[in-house]
Amino acid sequence: MPERNIEFGKYGARGLKGHEAVARQLDALAGYIATPVTARRGLMARLHYLTRTDHARAAARAAGLTVTDRTLRAWLDGARSPSRKNLERIEQAYRTVRRENVARYLTARLNREGRGTRVEIHPLNQSQVDRPRQRVVEFRTLNVRRWDRIVAAWAADDDRALDDAWIDQVVDLGSQWGQYEYVTNVGFAA
Amino acid sequence: MTDFGAIDALLAGARKEVALPPAEERRTLREELNLSRPQLAQALGVSPSTVAGWESGRDPSGEVRERYAYFLQGAKTKLAAAAMATFEDVGDEEPQEAPGSDAEPAAGQDDDVDVLVVPQPCVLCGQLARHQVAGFPQHLDPAECAAPGTPQPAAPAVSAPTASVSAAPAPARPAAARGGQGVRIVAAGRRVQPEDAEPDLIRQTVTQVLAQHAGDVEAATAALVKRAIPDVMALLDHTRKGGRYDIVAHPWLPDILRKQSARGADQIWEARPKWTRPELPAGAHEVTALDINGAYLSALKTHLPIGQLEHSTGNHHDRRRAGVHLITPPVWDHDTVLPNPIGNRDEPGPLWVTEPTLRLLLRLAGPKYGLCDPPEIHESWTSGATEGLLEKLRVVLKHARDRAIGEGDDVTLEYVKQMYSKFVSTLGESNYNRELYRTDWMHLIRSQAFTNLWWKAHRAYDEGLMVVRAMGTDELHLIGDWRTVFPEGRGVTEVKVKDVYTVGSDRNQTDTAPGSPS
Repeated sequence: MPERNIEFGKYGARGLKGHEAVARQLDALAGYIATPVTARRGLMARLHYLTRTDHARAAARAAGLTVTDRTLRAWLDGARSPSRKNLERIEQAYRTVRRENVARYLTARLNREGRGTRVEIHPLNQSQVDRPRQRVVEFRTLNVRRWDRIVAAWAADDDRALDDAWIDQVVDLGSQWGQYEYVTNVGFAA
Repeated sequence: MTDFGAIDALLAGARKEVALPPAEERRTLREELNLSRPQLAQALGVSPSTVAGWESGRDPSGEVRERYAYFLQGAKTKLAAAAMATFEDVGDEEPQEAPGSDAEPAAGQDDDVDVLVVPQPCVLCGQLARHQVAGFPQHLDPAECAAPGTPQPAAPAVSAPTASVSAAPAPARPAAARGGQGVRIVAAGRRVQPEDAEPDLIRQTVTQVLAQHAGDVEAATAALVKRAIPDVMALLDHTRKGGRYDIVAHPWLPDILRKQSARGADQIWEARPKWTRPELPAGAHEVTALDINGAYLSALKTHLPIGQLEHSTGNHHDRRRAGVHLITPPVWDHDTVLPNPIGNRDEPGPLWVTEPTLRLLLRLAGPKYGLCDPPEIHESWTSGATEGLLEKLRVVLKHARDRAIGEGDDVTLEYVKQMYSKFVSTLGESNYNRELYRTDWMHLIRSQAFTNLWWKAHRAYDEGLMVVRAMGTDELHLIGDWRTVFPEGRGVTEVKVKDVYTVGSDRNQTDTAPGSPS
């Protein structure tokens, strides 16, 4: 099985795409505000993050928070509260800006001046597959030295680019890399 | 034959303690020879802070005392003779017999051969010998040595080949290194090698940091505390070399092991004891608060899950697996004399406990103790388990701790303590240690420490003592002659007295109390 899977899950295997697991781990490392945007505390924290400087305001606008300054001030004063649609926009803009801000530092930490970071790849879950169709898929580790493309694609929220960047690394696992296109978990630390 | 050799070695070892010059003189002697503390410490095989201690009034004991006395004696004669100082270092002093020079002078040379002023009995054959290797008097030439059938272990792999050619005593040295009691060996691939051949990471680090801070003990301790976490992770990697199982640092974990919010806790109940005996018999009692030494260090030996945790249901416990279990705890009827094994939990109903707690409950429910009903297991997240995963790490840390205590080396002691305690506390989702995310292990190790404390309480109770309190990880308050039950000391199997206090008052005093003016 050297290539990508065509019909994943046909016999009951379960897992998620490697790049999704990577994005999830990068999200965990980025450390977003824990309180949800629907709570006042979480909303205020996000608005403060997006309006602290002119640079942040510009980034928020570029990320899709296209409301007037007057509206923003009203939200911050508590005179008005954002509609549900605007709450979603705030959340989206916050995550985008946060990713962009964090990306540079995350790349540096993961590259570790060229030494790279050890990545653990936990294989897909075969517990629901019939016994004869189960295969031995081992736990593997991999040292990823260049994270620039992966982190850049994650910061841009570009699934396709992230998938490509990740598969480029996974290919280093050898001819069996297709077994690791879907995984249970991808673990690494920064 | 070797038995006699061992006896001879023992006799040779049983000598009277040699006299040392006063503390200030020791320092002067060393400084006049232009020797630094780390240099001397390396030659003596102790840490620089230990040497600093000796120079400020502490006294060494045992073999190291004789070596130190020998150094001081040699320094004195050398200065007295006021001869041309051709030697820079006692470690570099070469015996006359050694032909040629070593490829690596001081760094690679770990067998320090010294010439003895007074001939002493050889540790191998018992005849008088004029040389000593690493502080042990012995013959350099095997032909001279009358001990036949001496085992000839392979030369340590670390020493350069030229060194083993030039130094004929090399074969005899590992046997002598433990005073003839045998060589500690460790597995190295398909072969074995002497334990000394492995680099001692802890001592190396301590020596290096002390040298960096020029022997400033406080600054060095602070620096070592700061690097304890990365160092213990490096030590863990080192001890896992050749191990059977990989350490998985970022496993997939079920939701019960994940924190519910950023600051919240997960759902695992670690069964931390916090128990106080409800009442004592009348009269005055002297309570001793005991402290268990290195509780978390001992708790590193526990059944830890190796692979990914798998879910199972049903009231069944597999002894070869470990993990977390959802149980309904049994009723505990002995709260007046012994703590509840699941700690003081107010909330009724099923709870997630870890493997050590479950094993404790099952054992107590067994025929030998019969203290409670067996717990009912509803669900489990388990994986195949082993006790040996952190065992080598534990042993390395324990040896370092024991040696530091024996040598009075506070720097190493504090460093080792920081290493194991921070290892346990940052094993989970800690930002201070991002190399390992094993929340499950963290809970299991902590629970094991609590379980160990519970068994100590039970043992005291079993021996007829009165258990007054069991708290936290390592605190036990007892009434009675506890010295018959627990040895006192600083080792991990021993206990330390934290506090002694009196509770209640004698009947006579309470009778006279109303009469007294107050």
